[in-house]
Amino acid sequence: MASKAELDNFYEQAKGAVESASDLRALDQVRVEFLGKKGQITSVLKTLGQLPADERKLVGQAANEVRRRLEGAISAKQTELSRADVEERLATEAVDITLPGRRTAHGSQHLISQVIKEITGIFIGLGYRVAEGPEVEIDYFNFKALNQPPDHPARSLQDTFYIKKESVHPADDDILLRTHTSPVQIRVMKEQEPPVYIIAPGKAFRRDVPDPSHLPMFHQVEGLAVDEGITFGDLKGTLEAFTKQMFGKKRKIRLRPHFFPFTEPSAEVDVSCAVCDGKGCRLCGSGWLEILGAGMVDPNVLMEVGYDPEKVSGFAFGMGVERIALLMHGVPDLRMFIENDMRFVKQF
Amino acid sequence: MLVPLSWLKEYIDFELSVDELVDQLNLSGTAVESVRFMGKGLDYVRIGQLLEVEPHPDADKLSVTKVDIGQAEPLQIVCGAKNIKPGDKVPVALVGATLPNGIEIKAAKLRGVTSRGMLCSQIELRLGTDAAGIYILPEDVEVGALFTEALGLDDVVVDLEITPNRPDCLAMIGVAREVRAITGNELRKPAVSVKEGTGKAEDAATIVIDDLELCPRYAARIIKGVKVGPSPAWMEQRLQKAGMRPINNIVDITNLVMLETGQPLHAFDLKTLKEGKIIVRRAKPGEKITTLDGVERELDRNMLVIADSDVPVALAGVMGGAETEVTDATVDILLESAYFEPDSIMRTARKMGLLSEASARFEKGVDPNGAVYAADRAAQLIAEYAGGEVLAGVIDVYPEKIEPRTLQLRTDRVNGILGTTLSLPEITDILEKLELKVSVIDGTDNMSVSVPTFRPDLEREIDLIEEVARIFGYNNIESTLPESSGKQGGLSHRQKTVESIKARLLASGLSEIITYSLIDPREVDKLQVPEGDPLRWFVKLMNPLSEELSVLRTTLLVNLLKVLKYNVNREQYDVQVFEVGHIFWHENGKEMPDEEAMLGIALTGAWQADEWHEKARNIDFFDLKGAVEAVLDEIGVTGWSLRQFAHPVLHPGKSAELLIGDEPIGYFGELHPDVLAAFDMPTAYVGELNMDKLIDNAIVSRELIEIPKHPAITLDIAVLVADTVAQEKLIELIEAEGKPLLEQAKLFDLYTGKGVPDGKKSMAYTMVFRASERTLTDEETLDARDRIIARLNKELGAEIRM
Ligand SMILES: [Zn+2]
Repeated sequence: MASKAELDNFYEQAKGAVESASDLRALDQVRVEFLGKKGQITSVLKTLGQLPADERKLVGQAANEVRRRLEGAISAKQTELSRADVEERLATEAVDITLPGRRTAHGSQHLISQVIKEITGIFIGLGYRVAEGPEVEIDYFNFKALNQPPDHPARSLQDTFYIKKESVHPADDDILLRTHTSPVQIRVMKEQEPPVYIIAPGKAFRRDVPDPSHLPMFHQVEGLAVDEGITFGDLKGTLEAFTKQMFGKKRKIRLRPHFFPFTEPSAEVDVSCAVCDGKGCRLCGSGWLEILGAGMVDPNVLMEVGYDPEKVSGFAFGMGVERIALLMHGVPDLRMFIENDMRFVKQF
Repeated sequence: MLVPLSWLKEYIDFELSVDELVDQLNLSGTAVESVRFMGKGLDYVRIGQLLEVEPHPDADKLSVTKVDIGQAEPLQIVCGAKNIKPGDKVPVALVGATLPNGIEIKAAKLRGVTSRGMLCSQIELRLGTDAAGIYILPEDVEVGALFTEALGLDDVVVDLEITPNRPDCLAMIGVAREVRAITGNELRKPAVSVKEGTGKAEDAATIVIDDLELCPRYAARIIKGVKVGPSPAWMEQRLQKAGMRPINNIVDITNLVMLETGQPLHAFDLKTLKEGKIIVRRAKPGEKITTLDGVERELDRNMLVIADSDVPVALAGVMGGAETEVTDATVDILLESAYFEPDSIMRTARKMGLLSEASARFEKGVDPNGAVYAADRAAQLIAEYAGGEVLAGVIDVYPEKIEPRTLQLRTDRVNGILGTTLSLPEITDILEKLELKVSVIDGTDNMSVSVPTFRPDLEREIDLIEEVARIFGYNNIESTLPESSGKQGGLSHRQKTVESIKARLLASGLSEIITYSLIDPREVDKLQVPEGDPLRWFVKLMNPLSEELSVLRTTLLVNLLKVLKYNVNREQYDVQVFEVGHIFWHENGKEMPDEEAMLGIALTGAWQADEWHEKARNIDFFDLKGAVEAVLDEIGVTGWSLRQFAHPVLHPGKSAELLIGDEPIGYFGELHPDVLAAFDMPTAYVGELNMDKLIDNAIVSRELIEIPKHPAITLDIAVLVADTVAQEKLIELIEAEGKPLLEQAKLFDLYTGKGVPDGKKSMAYTMVFRASERTLTDEETLDARDRIIARLNKELGAEIRM
């Protein structure tokens, strides 16, 4: 028989069971045991019919109250237990974040290519096209058209690699490995009318035995602008724009008069040393580092390609990529560029 | 060109510090290679005079000397040199000195004899190259004086790099002229006045020029009754500081005047010239001469010589002959001051391998109109320092005077080239400082400029513009950028495609390498390349540095393998690299070599070393194929196929030729074991593809393929087939039969072993079916699958496995 006292007793008992449930499954068993279809509260409610009507109402209300309170207790316990469950899961799933990450294999671009890309990128931004040409050249494009006199020592067998002539009817002109990328300039000018704004990166060859500061093959980037009204001031401004982008905003340039057969006036160009800011240090000596040669295109060269030097003028400049890479990255020996040691290549 | 500043200051004053002078020279086009402060490290060196030189009691090779250094007591110094005798004046390094070579001088006992100091050789003082003995000083130096002061060594010597177009700067006066242009200060050329005797030069010698083309001018002075001997100390010092070795007063004066004026001079012993005759002519076939350096040289028709009535006595402009050289016994001198044609001197000097101070100047062009000034200057100095009588008159054969060149210069052209706004007076001022004579053409801003003959480099208007620019100062020219609409920067399709191929390979884990375009032909032997193969159509160098770099590469493979090997030798076993570079070949009968860009790939080892989550896996054929596929995919090549490739370089069962359409593009595969053995390499996978052909087939731009709107149905099948059946066959059949509903089919498992009969393999494919305009039904999909299975069974005998 259900009575208020019995219900209270039932509640206390059930609540105790809820409290002591250690996990969600145990809690569910408690729920089934006390509140399920075959649970104790159901059997209490089933006996209600045997009570007098007034009492039935009272006990019924009390029983529903007990059920509600018990459901509340179970729900609270459920929340508590499932939180604990999540906490536990989080705890067991924790990883050692100091283990190395999973990475895919990666390749490195050769440092020389990176520097060429950077240089050409800057000039593309300034409105230049990239021009290329063959590594095997004829004397005409490499020397003669560039105003190089026939007896110039650069043309000697000591300095320039020549190709053995094989055929029965040898060509008139000497065939050689280009000693600079300047022949590309001649080829471009012979093919098109001004304006010309080009940058020519590529391999060049000189007959030097490999040592820390020489390689028989190296890379050059040369630039050429030919247009109406091009001035030496334009050359300076262009080189300043380039050096600031390449070496940093604070870098200054200095032009020293020099002699090249294919330009006049000609200059050697220094950039202020980034280490000492131009004051002079062990790296640079004087505060300045020579980075390129430049000048106004010699009228003889313009005439050679069929341009009228009274109508157009131009400037040209050239730099050694290895030297720039060496200055920017502190490479002590040029041969490292050609050895392709993976411990070198993969650093950059 | 070594320029002692004390010497330079004879011709021009300047208030610049050494650093400022160096800067100004550099910025006006006279490059300073180095600066040497001469006295450095010589503070404790004094002039001593030997009082006694006695043998060391206990050492044969040593002497014990007593040296007066101007103090109360002479010093006792032990010395090993043999060239000293009492009375000699010598440099003495005192106790406490640290010499330029780092030697510290301390009081010491040498075999029991106390030594307080050291007698020095030239090399120990870093003054010359003479290490043979103690530096015996001229008699007129003061005992006890500081060595640096007595020898004028408290001096600074700047080393100038003179470009070949500026022979005028191979002279102190020329350098002083540059300083004048920088500072505007006055230039002082030494005034020359020769006290002439009564005899006439013309009576003492005759000069004939046979070849006026090679020798436009030959002038000579005759000095009789000279006394050959050592030069005064100041003169020896000057020469030494300028890098020349003192010889005797006559030779020293010719050198001194050459360094001063740029005009090389040569002194002949007049008595050795037969009939007192000088004939300037080409050498006759078979003629020989023994030059000053004691070498007998054979001459030819292209060489200009100075001959007497009989035989050549000097190689004109290059080197004098031993027979007619000035010796201690010489009394009468013929002093030559000539102008020779530069190219002829250069050719002779090169051919003889004789590069002298004289030839270096003649081959660049000396001032033809400076010959007599130099001869007079030298004659005056000879009379002063070697005695003798200068005969009256200069014998000067100069039938066709070389006149100064006149050039036009336009002000607006100057400003148009330089981007300056210089006025006519500003331009004139600069040119006049360089001793060019400028006259303004009336009513214009144009000038007529007379160029002195000491500036053979100024031939055109642009040369004058350069002079204006460098003296105005490059760094004073305002910087601008070209304002042109003609600038359209960017990469071509070809260049972009190359860049994207490189980027894809880098992203796929390959690193880029750059190697020589030159190889060793013997390396191609190692590739087992048969005779006559195109890889042997070498382009050979005429003048290689060595066999290792003697032919242009016909393939990228050689260098790729060398790089693998280089790294493997250094315990870098995992190497995955590519190179984009040119190959070259000589086709029979064609003179000009062919040249083509290639892409080379080489893989060895594993992509990654063992990791905590994954073990290392050795690269195989399919890694290489994957890299090739990535390239093709990157540039959108379609319609490519592979076929068996038979080449001795590659493993016949693990190699393929790549075709696009019918055109071969290249090959790739595992290296043949014979090649691996030749290179002493573990397994390696290589490929070489023609870059231009790849680019020709690259997609220019991609068009969007619509993203499907309807769901797909995915089904898997696994079949057993004979293990000789190529995967490609299965895929082809699946795709053919699955059309049009089959969107994609892909092999996802390949299995042999337990459960699969011998000679068979299990191939599992995942197939995606989709209709573009509607949702597929299960029935039609299963129907398609069954048709595929039936087709595989019919054509390949495939049995369904699942
Ligand atoms: Zn610095």
